[in-house]
This record gives sequence, structure tokens and C-alpha cells, in this order.
Amino acid sequence: MLFIGLFNQTIQVGVTYQFHRAVASKGSDLLDNMLLSPGIPPNWGQTSDTPEGFGLQAVEFTQYKLSPFSLMRLRSSTGNPVYYSMTGQTYSNVTMGFGQSLLVPYNEALDYSTASRLLGVNGSYGFSLTLTPIVNVTIIQIQANPLSVSISASGPGFPLANAEVDYSLIKVAEGGGYPKYEINYGSALTDTAGSTSLSFPGFDASSTSYALIASAHVSGLVGIGYHENALYKENYVIPFISSTANKTAILAHSWDVVNGSDSDAAIHYNATFVALTDDFRLREMPFTNETGSTVGVLNSGRDPEHAYDTLTMGTNNPGILIVTYRKSAQKTGIVVMPWGLSSLAFPITFGGDPKNASWVATDIRQVMVNGIAYQAKLAVWSLSGYQVNG
Amino acid sequence: MRTLEVLLVISILIGALTVVSYFAVLPSPRQVAPLNLRRLALTTLQTLDSSHDLSKASFDVGNDTTWNRLQVALSAALPADIIYNLTIFEVNSDASGAELYTSVKSVSNAENLGIASDASQYFVASSNVTFSVTPEKIGESGTGGTLYILNCSDANSWWTVGYTAQSLAQDFSNLLSPYFTKTVMVQSTAELGQILDNNPLEGEVVQNAVLINTFGESMPIPSSYYDGDARRYTYTLGQRVLEYNWTWVSIVGYPIYYVTNTNLFPNDQNGYGIYGMKNVGPAGLNAFFQGLDNQTYSANSTWITGSLAGVKYLTSKSLEDSNYYGIYPSPYQTFTRALPNYITSMYNLNVTTQIFNPDGNYNPGSVYRHRVSQGGTSNFQGGFLALGVTRTPDIRLTALGLLSEYKPRIYRSEYTVYGTSRLAVLQLGLAGGT
Repeated sequence: MLFIGLFNQTIQVGVTYQFHRAVASKGSDLLDNMLLSPGIPPNWGQTSDTPEGFGLQAVEFTQYKLSPFSLMRLRSSTGNPVYYSMTGQTYSNVTMGFGQSLLVPYNEALDYSTASRLLGVNGSYGFSLTLTPIVNVTIIQIQANPLSVSISASGPGFPLANAEVDYSLIKVAEGGGYPKYEINYGSALTDTAGSTSLSFPGFDASSTSYALIASAHVSGLVGIGYHENALYKENYVIPFISSTANKTAILAHSWDVVNGSDSDAAIHYNATFVALTDDFRLREMPFTNETGSTVGVLNSGRDPEHAYDTLTMGTNNPGILIVTYRKSAQKTGIVVMPWGLSSLAFPITFGGDPKNASWVATDIRQVMVNGIAYQAKLAVWSLSGYQVNG
Repeated sequence: MRTLEVLLVISILIGALTVVSYFAVLPSPRQVAPLNLRRLALTTLQTLDSSHDLSKASFDVGNDTTWNRLQVALSAALPADIIYNLTIFEVNSDASGAELYTSVKSVSNAENLGIASDASQYFVASSNVTFSVTPEKIGESGTGGTLYILNCSDANSWWTVGYTAQSLAQDFSNLLSPYFTKTVMVQSTAELGQILDNNPLEGEVVQNAVLINTFGESMPIPSSYYDGDARRYTYTLGQRVLEYNWTWVSIVGYPIYYVTNTNLFPNDQNGYGIYGMKNVGPAGLNAFFQGLDNQTYSANSTWITGSLAGVKYLTSKSLEDSNYYGIYPSPYQTFTRALPNYITSMYNLNVTTQIFNPDGNYNPGSVYRHRVSQGGTSNFQGGFLALGVTRTPDIRLTALGLLSEYKPRIYRSEYTVYGTSRLAVLQLGLAGGT
């Protein structure tokens, strides 16, 4: 007993060390399990079904290339869920600010406990998976008239010097009726600090809503940034994913979701689905049963007939749903929703909360999601109740 | 004496405890649970080469601009506390064939690689390398595998606007022959009669073949198969498709709306000034179905196809196959001759491949297989592909439909030729001391 008592501390150090090593090894293995398998069925991200095996790899690729749709179906553990009374559903929320959100119905978003069970770690290990774009593209409006913006691109360790920047400026046209828009394209080069400035002579952003989508790329490292300038934000359009299997989205009136300080009012919208091409331009893809964009009128739930509209993207290609809206000639705005997580380089955090864990191991990988570079970080901890100090 | 022994034991125990405690210290967290630097290095190399920039830079080591950009990307991609060394090796071979590696370029962001490091290697290929793919041959592991393409010189086509049947036949051959064991061009209606009589043209297997009618809405007819009623011929054609387990293919419009033989019908025209053609109308397809289902022939002139509103889109499976086989037709098409669903029950058919999304009671662009029951078990025997698109024919849709149905695999080549590969080794370390 005396001997055991004397060596208790030493033995405990050894046990703790082995325990921590085991958690770290489990974390590394678990991360590869998630990233190097498409799951069962392999295309579960493009269905509305609960998978029988968890995996995030894109089915048509090998190695660390992930499916933007499987990622889109993960229930975010950081965003506040959104309840939409007109459908009676709660939505998983990934939002990057006004006018750029990804809202997936809870009944389609894979939850943490199911994923844990499918991975075989339910009750033994907890985890939190975070996917963050490696390249952070920030767009800041410097001046409204004429419009001037600054774009900066950087990775976690270094600014993206001498990177090519391709941008698309989407301007909402003035006038009545359904809000039309036009897209201008351009390119620039960042300086040694990873920044560049763009000027748009003759364009007055104080009287025109616009959105700017910019992609920065150098040697295979690609990132996307988005900035919007909506002149009117009291009544606007909120896009929700409706069904990943049917590839549908609904456009809702903001009043039924977040209310607003202005009185609720009807808004006209013009929705377009675009894909980002290899040369970083936006290519319009018609909705199913439509030949181009689609227009409509939305009102709050007090006018149920116009409470929301359903659109069918009808494609397994990632893209961006762009919706311009108008309450009156001057009160316009623009919102976007990615179809597939990577289209606007949205991040996501999926899993449990490690704050009460005694010890957490992390590991990272660089992955590609439809051409966009992401960093996948997995935090893993034991749920077996082990005490570090006895 | 005993006191001395006890003191000695105590001192040994304390000494052992002190020594063990000194060495048995829990290592720092980064040693207990280090980042998997090997995996991080590999995935970083894959990211850098996702647009082949690493490959280009590896074969352009003297280009400072390229390497500056690569190093910017490498630095930006890694966390700030990671230090790296990227080295490119030339892969040579000596007289005995053993591989030798010669360093040709190295970049780093630190003098040493810290307290712990690990590395991954990645082969990159020169842009001069030609990659090839080898498709699996349909029929190579079973029977059949013959692709018949109608290229009859004594027949005319209809609704193949802008193309001749002969030009379409050549394009089909170029596109699909790599996937079939044997491709046979049927050069005349007489040769068509020969294979309908189960006589091979070039030693090929007649059974289980695919037969593509490149003549649009018209179907070549051998003289020997015309008895004054062209509908009888289409009935026999259906019977042959059943008997030989063929897959008969219509590439555009209403299938078998006309029969064509310029020698047989020199004075007949289709109503639009195309001679050598005889109008059988919807009765031709109905008779074909009766023959395929081994029903008794009965003349039936009922129009069965539907004209669908708007455009219809490729199914998600077709889009996947489009990527897999590298065939990229327009994803949406107009259909004015889509076949109805009810033919599946009327003629014992199953829709086995839907190229386009169905629309209500119609199946635009689908492959049908005919069900037969033999000895209590149900099998497929005979089938057809009908696109039903409005002119003009896009043969890529037909090719995509056939490949989706037969699912031949693609074997991609490896690149291991000396002088065309270089080895990129990325070694990562953690900054800071112990």
C-alpha cells in the first residue's frame, strides 16, 4: 500500500498521458472518417433522407473534396434557429449578416446526436466539426458616390499578396414594377498586403442597392467574399431551403420572421439562380419550368395567398440564389442564399459544446469544397467522465 | 541493524520516487495531442494542386513569379504557428532502374522546423503527360456487346434537321464505339435485313445488341420485309427486338412514323417532299409494341405521344453520369413526342433509366425494358430507348441514356513515366520551443 501510495502520482501521470493520446488519436481518425467517406447513401446530401452512414466527401471525387450539399444539410450549432410561422418549421441558421443566410429546415438538417450514432461515438466521445474558408475575403465600402470599395484577402497565416480578384457587381435598377438588375464583371490584383481598391465611376450607391461578389485566388487557393448595400431593410425577402431532394426554396416575407420597425408592406421581387463558372463569372441557370428569372409579390401572413413563393432550382450544381426586391421606386434591396454551402464560402460549425469537457484534442485538414479552399477542424473530447487529477 | 535496513529501504523508495517523478512528467499538450502534421501537409499539397498550380510550378522551378505566388498561397493556407519546407525532387532512374531523387527547388519560411515535424509527399505530373482512359466494354463479361448503327445509303431521314443520317452515324460511332465490344455500321437496308434474319455482318454477336436508328422519325425497311403493309414490318421489328434481346434506339421525334427505302418507294414521299419514304403514322409504333410484347397484330392508329409544356431537365442521375462520362449536352430540352406511362402496363414494360425528369403521365427521354416470365421468374428481354425530343437531334442525349443504362466503368490511367513526374515533399513543423 505504501508503495502504491508513493507511486500513485506517477501512475496517474502515465494513465493521463495514455488517455489523452487515445483521445487525440480518436480525433484524427474520426476527422478522416468524416472527410474521406461520402456516407451511405453516397448522395445523401442531395436527398431529404437521414443517412445510414455519416460522411462528407463529394461522391464524384476522391481524397479531401467535400460535398457542398452534405455540408449544407448539417445542423449549425452556432446560429440561432429561426422559426417561420407560415410553414410551422424551425430552421437551422447559418447567417453572415443581413441578406446572406442559409436556412435549412430542422427536419432536413442532420443533427449532432444522429451523426454521433452513425459515427459510433455516441456516449463515448463528443465532437465539434468546424469548416472555415481558408481565404477570408473582406469587402468594405469606402465611398458611396461614386462607389469605391476596398477588397482584402488573407489566409490564417498570411495575406494573399498578388492574388487575382474577379468580381461581379449586381446593381438593382431603379424604377417601378419588378426590380430588374444588371451585372458588371471585372478583375483586379491585390497588392503585397493582400488588398485592392475598386472604383465605379458614375455609380451612386447612395441611391442604388447593389451587391458585390468577389473571388480571390492564387495557386489553387480560392476564397469568396460578399458585400451588399440594401437601401431598404424593413420589409425584405428571406429565402429558406424548402427541400433538398426536390431542390426547392421558398421566398418568405421578412415580417413573418423578424418583424420590423416599419409597417408590413407588399414587396415585389425578382429571383435568379446563378452558378459560379470556372472563370469566376456568374452563369444564369433557369429555374425548373422557367426560362430565366422569376418574379412575384410577397406580403406578410395577413395576406396568406402571398405569404411565400416556392422556387425550384432543380439542379445538383451549387449556385447562388439572388433575389432583388422593391417596396417602392427608391426602397430596394438585394439578398442572397447559397445553394450548397461553398457557393458564398459560408462557414459552419456542427456538433456538441466542449466547454465542460476536461480535455479537448483538435486536429485540422485542408479540404476543397466545390473549388473553394476550407480548413476542417475537429475538436474531440471524452464523455467517459474521466478525472484528470485524482 | 534493522534500523539501518529500514532507513536504507526508505532511502531507496524515496530515491526511486524522485527519479521516476522527474522523468514521468505529463508532456506538453502539443506533444500529447499533436496536430497530425503529415495529414495537414498532404491536404495542403492537394489544395495547392487543385488547379494544377503546384504541378506547373514544379516543372517551372526557374520562374520566380510562379514560385512567389505558390509561396504566398502556402503561407496563407497554413496556420500562423506552422513552419514549412517545400522541396521539389526530380525523379530519375539509374541503370538498374532504381529511383533517384534530386532536389531541384526548395522554399521555407524558417531556418529549422521547431520541436516536431512531419512530412508528406505528393507526385505531380508534367503538363506534357497525356492521360488516357480505358472504358469497360459492354458485353465483354457476358454475351452481346454489339452496337449496330444504321448508316443505310438507300434510305432517307426525317426530323434530323441540319444533319444527315450518315453524319450522325459517324458521330455515334466516334462517341460510343469505345464502350462496345464490336461496332458495326449497317450500310444498306439489305444488311439490315440480314441482321434481322440473325445473320452477322462481320462475325459479331447479333443477340443482345444495341441498334441505333439514325434516321430520325423514319425507319429503314429491307425490301424482303415489305409485303405491302409497312405496319407489318414494324410489328416484325418489335418481334425481332424481343427475340434477339435488342435495345432499339429512337433518337428524335415520333418513333417509326415513316419507313424508308429509296429503291422500294421511289415515288412515295412523306408529305413534305422527301421521297423514298412511306408514312405509317402512329400505327408503326403501336405495331412495334405489339411485336415486342408478342401480342397478336392489330392495326392501331392511335396517337400516343404527348407534347410537354416548357422544357424538361436531366435527372440528377443523368447529370452525375454526364460528369462521369464527360458528355455534356444541354441540361434541358423540349419534348413534343414523349411517350405516355400507360404503355408500361399495356405492353409489359419497365422504365429502367430516366434520362429526363418525368412529367405527370409522360416519360420524356427514357429506356424501357420488356418484362417476360420464364419458369416463374421475371426477366427483361428486349427494350428500347425513346427520346421524344423535338428536332434537332443531339446524339449526346442518346449516348448519355445508353451509358446510364449499361453503366460501363471508366478505368483511368496512372502516370508513372520517368521524367514526367516530380515529387513534392512538404515538411511541416510547429513554431516555438518546448
